[in-house]
Amino acid sequence: MTELMVKSENVHKNFGRLEVLRGIDLEVGVGEVMCIVGPSGSGKSTFLRCINHLDKINGGRLSVNGHLVGYEERNGKLYELRDKEVAAQRREIGMVFQKFNLFPHMTAVQNVMEAPCRVKGKSKADGRKRALELLERVGLSDKIGNYPSQLSGGQQQRVAIARALAMDPALMLFDEPTSALDPELVGEVLEVMKGLAADGMTMVVVTHEMGFAREVGDTLVFMDGGVIVEKGSPREVLANPQHPRTREFLSKVL
Amino acid sequence: MADFDKSPEPERVRPEIIKAVPVRHPGRWMTVGVLAVLVAMFVHMLVTNKAFDWSYQLDNAFRPNVIEGVRTTLTLTIGAMVLGVALGIVIAVMRLSDNPILSSVAWVYTWFFRAVPRLVLCVLFGQLGILYAEYTVGLPFTAQIADLLGVDINGTIFSVDANTFLTGLMAGLLALALSEAAYMAEIVRAGIQSVDSGQSEAASALGMSRPQIMRRVVLPQAMRVIVPPTGNETIAMLKDTSLVSAVPVTNELFFQLQAAGAHDFKPFPMLIAACCWYLFLTSFLMVGQYYLERHFAKGVSPTGKTRSRLMSLRSEH
Repeated sequence: MTELMVKSENVHKNFGRLEVLRGIDLEVGVGEVMCIVGPSGSGKSTFLRCINHLDKINGGRLSVNGHLVGYEERNGKLYELRDKEVAAQRREIGMVFQKFNLFPHMTAVQNVMEAPCRVKGKSKADGRKRALELLERVGLSDKIGNYPSQLSGGQQQRVAIARALAMDPALMLFDEPTSALDPELVGEVLEVMKGLAADGMTMVVVTHEMGFAREVGDTLVFMDGGVIVEKGSPREVLANPQHPRTREFLSKVL
Repeated sequence: MADFDKSPEPERVRPEIIKAVPVRHPGRWMTVGVLAVLVAMFVHMLVTNKAFDWSYQLDNAFRPNVIEGVRTTLTLTIGAMVLGVALGIVIAVMRLSDNPILSSVAWVYTWFFRAVPRLVLCVLFGQLGILYAEYTVGLPFTAQIADLLGVDINGTIFSVDANTFLTGLMAGLLALALSEAAYMAEIVRAGIQSVDSGQSEAASALGMSRPQIMRRVVLPQAMRVIVPPTGNETIAMLKDTSLVSAVPVTNELFFQLQAAGAHDFKPFPMLIAACCWYLFLTSFLMVGQYYLERHFAKGVSPTGKTRSRLMSLRSEH
C-alpha cells in the first residue's frame, strides 16, 4: 500500500461542553487528494485545523508523516510539544483559509517571501526568486507588487496558495478555499488546485464544490455531527450515496 | 439572440451639462458675517491692548535660557515617549499573555500609574532620594543572608548615589515615562486586539514563531490603530513636561518663561509667549504624525486604493 501522510484514529475534539469531533478515523495516503464535505457545523473545518494543531485535539491519535501532531510520545506517555517544535511541524503543512488571511501590509511577493526568509532563513534574493516562480505558477506574474487590497478575491486566494507552497510543504490543507469568492472567480482558484493535484501534492480539501471533488478528488468524505458518515470514491458517493443523511445533503447541494 | 448582435442605433447626441440655480444658504452667510465680526474684534484686541506687550515678548521669548528650556522640553518629550512606548508595548504583550502572573502584574502596573496624577508622580519621584541614599544593582537580600550565615558576601554589582542618579531631570523623565507607559500599554493592547485573529493563524500555519508573528505580522497592522492616539499622547506629553517644574526641574520651557515674566513684572505677556511656543512645537509634532500615519496605512490607505483604481484605468486605455 501507499505511504500514509495523515493518520487519524478516533480523534475527539470539544469546545467546552460542545463535542465537535466524535471519533474520526481517517487515512490520507501520500499524493492523495481527499475532499471533505458536509453541512456547516459538522466539524470538517475543525478537523482540518486539528491536522496542523491550530486546534488541539482532546482524544485519540492524529499523526502527519509519521509524527504525532502537537505531542511527543516517550515511554508510553504523551508530552506536549513546545511552541517552537509545533512551529517546526507546521512548516511541513501548508494551509489555505476561507478568508485568505493575506498580510495586508505586504505586497503579493512580500507575502510569499515572508515565511521562507524569516523561518527557513532563505536569503532575500533566493526567497524572491522562488516567490516569483510561485506567483507565475498561480498566474499572477503581473501582480507581484500589488497589495492584497488591490487584488480581487480570486487573485488573493491564489497568492495565499503561493504563500503556502513557498514553504515546500508535504501536505496542503484547504479550508473552504472558494466559499468567500464571487461565483465567477471560483474557477481560477480551482484551476490552480487542479494543477497542484496533478503534480502529485497531497491535499485535504474542505469544500462545497462537488464538481471539483468529482473531478480531482481521490476520496470523498461526508461528515455530519462530528463523525464520518460515508467515505469512498467521489464518483460513487456522489452518484450513489449509501447513507440516508448523505442522500439528503447531496439532494440539497447538487 | 440576434438582438444583442445588432449594431447600436446611430449615436445619440450627448445632452448639455445641466445648469441649474443652486440652493441658497442664507444661514451660512449670516454665520460668516457674525464670525467675521468676532474675529475682527479679537484681532483688534490683540493689536491694540497694551497688556500683550508684543515687543517685550519678542525681545524676551528667545532668550538663551528660554531656548535652553525649549531644548529640555523637547528632550523630555522625546525621552519620555520613547521609554513610554517601549515599556508600553512590553506591558501590553504581558497583559495579553496566557501566563496569569504576567498579565496580572501588567494590570497592577497600569492600574497604579493611571490612578496617580502626573503632578503627584513628579513630586514623588523628586523625593525618592528619601528611600535610599544609594541605589544598588546586585543580588537580592545578600546582606540579610550574610548576617544569617555569619559570612561575608557582597552581592553588589554596581551602585549609584541617589543624588547623582535621580537628578531633577532624571526623576522628571522617569515619572513621565512610567506614567506614559501605562497609557501606551492600553493603546497598544487595543491595537493588537484590533488585528484579525486570522492573521496570526495564517502566520503560525506558516511555521512562524510567536515573536516573529508579533513583530512582522501583528504589530505593523496594529500600528494603524496605535499611531493616531500615540500622536495625541505625544502632544499631551509635550504639554505635561511643564509639570516637571514640581520635581523641581527649572530649566524647562514654561518655568523659564514664567520666571522671566515674574522678574520683569510682566507675567501676562510671557504667558502668551508660552502659548505661542507650545502652539508652534505642537504643530511641528502634528506634521510628524501625518507622515507616520501615512507610512503605516500601507496596503489599506484610501490613497492606495485610488492609485490602484487609476492604474487599472490606465491599463484599459
